[in-house]
Amino acid sequence: MRQPDLTGDVASVLITEEEIRTRVADLGRRISEDYEGKELTLVSVLKGSLPFMADLMRAITIPVAIDLMEVSSYGTATESSGLVRILKDLSSSIDGREVLIVEDIIDTGLTLNYLVRYLRGKNPRSLRICTLVDKPARRLVDIPIDYRGFEIPDQFVIGYGLDYGEYYRNLPFIGVLKPEVYASP
Amino acid sequence: MDEVPEAAAPSGVGAPLFAHASEAELARILDYYGIEWQYEPTAFPILWNLDGNVVESFSPDYYLPEFDLYVELTTLKQSLVRKKNRKLRRLRELYPDIRVKLLYARDFRALMMKYGRLGLLDSLSGTEGQVIVVHDTAPPGDTAAAPSRAPAGTPRSRMRRRHAAIASEPAGAAEALTRTTERCR
Repeated sequence: MRQPDLTGDVASVLITEEEIRTRVADLGRRISEDYEGKELTLVSVLKGSLPFMADLMRAITIPVAIDLMEVSSYGTATESSGLVRILKDLSSSIDGREVLIVEDIIDTGLTLNYLVRYLRGKNPRSLRICTLVDKPARRLVDIPIDYRGFEIPDQFVIGYGLDYGEYYRNLPFIGVLKPEVYASP
Repeated sequence: MDEVPEAAAPSGVGAPLFAHASEAELARILDYYGIEWQYEPTAFPILWNLDGNVVESFSPDYYLPEFDLYVELTTLKQSLVRKKNRKLRRLRELYPDIRVKLLYARDFRALMMKYGRLGLLDSLSGTEGQVIVVHDTAPPGDTAAAPSRAPAGTPRSRMRRRHAAIASEPAGAAEALTRTTERCR
């Protein structure tokens, strides 16, 4: 992969910083109302959801616990017959708690499906899903989404946590990556 | 760290001989995320002659039992998938309750990009990804009034027995022999 040009590699801005801020605030309000009086744990899925988690938790006005998880990706598998692995597990029990998975993007649904099954095995009182970005055109397995920030077209997006080759996560907006970036060796 | 949950267990139900390298790759991805799948488990008759014999069937590549979903994968160029689209339309007309998702070449490309495997795309796609075809099954005149599940001892069951060997090959390998029935590739 060639050296990234943080802003020069962006073909267009799909969701502006301001639009993200407004939407995250709205999600925070809705979540605060829905979970009023309940013991809520936000589970963020590393690494992409970090900026979203950081902003969302501050937009929520009720007490929340947070936890972080990281799972391996097929793209990093070194064995062709490998299985998904938990790279970073929960730090605290979610037994009996209301759990909200916080995702940056849902496309195929494969990782999320794995996570949902894994977390259900830990006996939460409820398990719901919040994603900043939903790309339904790429969905392979259907999973009900409870809170959705933006539904986006079938384009490769970066920024606000979303990466290509581990770069571009620190862009404050969500943009479309220029095709020549991923076409180049 | 907890034990790998049940969801992560590979389907490991046999050994299909995939018709195309892209199908083997998708099977590896499904296995990685613990999604149970069956390879071409059902042949749906879609055309009959005047004697009531089935003259054309459609066997979607995968069935995902957990989601009651069939998945058909093609990596041919968009301009060459007309026949497959026609079959899929016919299938949906005749079996409206069946859920089928068709993954086109662009979808497979996006999947490979997501997993950082664009470099393998050529070897897994289109004619490059095709492997030796050995037709040793009954001709398409077999009578079958209803969708048929491949019984034990048929070529399809032999496919399933080959699965472990194929799935354990290095990603991108296209060495599998092919035995297939009514493929429309």
